Amino acid sequence: MPVRVVESSAPSQVSGANSGQTSPSICTLLSVGQAFSGTQNVSNLQKEEAWRVNVRIQGCDLEHGYLCGTMEALNVPMADTPVVTFWEGEIVDTKNYTFYTGKWEATPENDIKHWTKFPSFSPLLNQVEVDGGKSLDLSNYPYIFMRWKEQYFVNVGTDCGLTIAGFYYVCFSCSDGSINGFYYDPNSSPFQKLELKCTNEERSGFSFSSYELQ
Amino acid sequence: MPTTTTTAATTGSNILHRLTSADRDVKLKALRELKNQIIGNRTKKLSFLKLGAVPTVASILSDAVSTDAVVDNNNDNINKNIIVQSAAVLGSFACGFEAGVKAVLDAGAFPKLSRLLSYHDEKVVDAGARSLKMIYQSKLAPKYDFLLEKNMEFLLSLLNNENENVSGLGASIISHSCKTSVEQKLLSDAGVLRKLTSLLGGSLSQRDASLESLATIFKSNPEVVVKFVGNESERALSCIIDLVKDRFARTRLLASLCLIIVRNTSPCYLQDLAIKTKLINTLLELLGDPGQVGDEASFAFSSLIAQKEDMQKLAFEVNAIDKLYNHLKGGSLHPLRFEGILLALADMCSKLECCRSRFLSLQVLNLVIDALAHDSSDVRIAACICLRSVSRSIKNLSAGSFMNETVVIPLVRLLDDSSTSVQVSALGAISNIVVDFTTRRSLFIRCGGVKQLVQLSKSMDSTIRSNALWALRNLMFLAENKCKEGIFLELTASLLASLICDPEPIVQEQALALVRNLVDGCISSVEYMFAEDGIIFDAVGRQLRSASKAEIGIQGMYVLSNVATGKESHKEAVMNQLLPTENRTQPYLINFLQSNDSRLRTATVWAVVNLTCSSSPGASVRVVKLRDAGIVSQIKNMVNDPCLDVKLRVRTALGQLMTFEDSST
Repeated sequence: MPVRVVESSAPSQVSGANSGQTSPSICTLLSVGQAFSGTQNVSNLQKEEAWRVNVRIQGCDLEHGYLCGTMEALNVPMADTPVVTFWEGEIVDTKNYTFYTGKWEATPENDIKHWTKFPSFSPLLNQVEVDGGKSLDLSNYPYIFMRWKEQYFVNVGTDCGLTIAGFYYVCFSCSDGSINGFYYDPNSSPFQKLELKCTNEERSGFSFSSYELQ
Repeated sequence: MPTTTTTAATTGSNILHRLTSADRDVKLKALRELKNQIIGNRTKKLSFLKLGAVPTVASILSDAVSTDAVVDNNNDNINKNIIVQSAAVLGSFACGFEAGVKAVLDAGAFPKLSRLLSYHDEKVVDAGARSLKMIYQSKLAPKYDFLLEKNMEFLLSLLNNENENVSGLGASIISHSCKTSVEQKLLSDAGVLRKLTSLLGGSLSQRDASLESLATIFKSNPEVVVKFVGNESERALSCIIDLVKDRFARTRLLASLCLIIVRNTSPCYLQDLAIKTKLINTLLELLGDPGQVGDEASFAFSSLIAQKEDMQKLAFEVNAIDKLYNHLKGGSLHPLRFEGILLALADMCSKLECCRSRFLSLQVLNLVIDALAHDSSDVRIAACICLRSVSRSIKNLSAGSFMNETVVIPLVRLLDDSSTSVQVSALGAISNIVVDFTTRRSLFIRCGGVKQLVQLSKSMDSTIRSNALWALRNLMFLAENKCKEGIFLELTASLLASLICDPEPIVQEQALALVRNLVDGCISSVEYMFAEDGIIFDAVGRQLRSASKAEIGIQGMYVLSNVATGKESHKEAVMNQLLPTENRTQPYLINFLQSNDSRLRTATVWAVVNLTCSSSPGASVRVVKLRDAGIVSQIKNMVNDPCLDVKLRVRTALGQLMTFEDSST
């Protein structure tokens, strides 16, 4: 979700991001087509404020630790319409990506500071401090840690007064499909919290669609 | 007035006439003249072929060989010359000209040419070997049986011969006839590898022939490769590596191909970064060769990088996309070269997003789109494959980069192509492009895409049916209601039901996946299942009862699971489908829950979760039915399922089931 521009900053580019044929998901609740809704707290010292947010998973390529989708911010004060951005995610699978970001102006200290905000991270902390989590096997861990980086605005121009320079530290719960995240951008208010829940879209249960690339 | 042709024909007839002369000098002169006329001249070869020159020359050879055998006259130079010249003429007809090879073989000249190899006269042997080598370049040449002991001995004698055409013939025989792993092993055990290795140090033609034969013997046979590389021939491998830097382009290509085969057969070898980079650079540079080598270089490049992400990355780093594009934008390429470059680009973009980004930023897409309308079907296929690769970029699909008229219109047009292979490859690209997140599906529908896809889903060819359904399934993914309605009206419930019950499992799977997407999204979509007296719903049930593979069960269970998120009546319909009252046999639900495929177990538990949502009024009755059918106890057994997803879904299901169990006790 975009945040207000505090200082002028160009969106950073992710390099070597991968996609490919859709592979089976680790968790069905995080598979393509799944939708989530909730809020992002954008409060600052002057004002308490939260924007409503919808997220939809559009692509998943576990082999490359890749996930992508859109994020829609609904009640953005300076925008006439909901603002939709496209994001790409790095899944911390300890093969493709570790807990250390190594880019986007995030130091290991920033990383640890954000990851430790998730209670489910605490059992991993000691090992992560040693090697970024490289030696951890997270394949059976009921939480999936990710970084989501917005790449472009889908429905508004870059001159909309919003920035997508930062990225999110994300923790997904495989049990109930809830998502917690913290936005990190050295130029924005710290620890803006993203809280999303899996949406059933008026259904009595969970519905799943799928596509497969050739 | 066709004066020249008449003159040519007259000259041709004249030569043919002189070939039948009783005067041997005249005959010999005519043979020489004929040879000179047809060498490297395809048109002349064809015109003499039509005049019946090949059987005439074959018979001259046959007579001369017989004369030589009967008259023990080693000094009959004219007869020897006739043999040499007639063999040379036959070889010329066979050189790079399939119709010529066929005519030579039909005229029965092959055994006569083979006989020349046992002559004492060097020139005769050389002429026979040259001609046979030409014949062995063709697929039409008879297969050489390596399993016969005497044949293997003869082959070794050819390879050991000092005459480069004779040893070259031995190598050509191997390249042509060695097909099976048994033959590869036999040749390797007979010491052929060692012999071929020694030929690598010989003349240009020996080197090239040897490289080709080595590649043939290595192909897909790790045992032989290990024997060659592992034990005795480390030096030989480095010799081949050196030949990648040879000054002759063909040798560089053949050496590269040989190493690619070693790598592809036994991936543990040739992992050195320098060699990998050298191979990539050599092949990219050979693309610039104006002849056959340039045509073949792109195919060799593809075999080097196909399915290998590390190689694609390396090639990307040396600007392979740019280099391939530069050859492409030169325009007016020979179809084979055009096809090869498009396929190389397709392989480059098959896995890595950085390659796709580069491809799109260079505007290669426009050239590929033009190629969709090329006269050659192979080029059209290659263009589709290229589009399919580049459209694997979810980032660009999300940005709607491909869903525009420039791409869609020519692709949809190809669905009408007279070639089935073109149709299948166009369907491959369309399947990706219709994964749309920008609500531009209507464009595809407006271009007549859905009508065409529905037509193709009725094809007699199951590959076309399954691919057409694949595209429709992807088009249906997260489609808005109006779009779904349009597709459904075109497809009809009865066609969908019959496709679900198609004889081919791959078609069934895609049809079920399509229905799964149809009933997802807006809750009213569930009603599609019950159109025309529920024929789709019944077809899904029938297919699940007889599911021949896990994928069908998975898609079918997600259909039912999605329907079970609807109203009470929908949930009840699913219950009746899963546990029909009249059927007392073990429900397939139990088999699915016990499946070895965790994806099928997951899909099945989701259906149970949706049927037992505590908020729905009929849930308690359904829980009782599920318990009576043994489903609840089966689910209880799964609390420690090895698959995390299944385990967590089982917990959700049990949480819901327990609510009712508690209230019923």
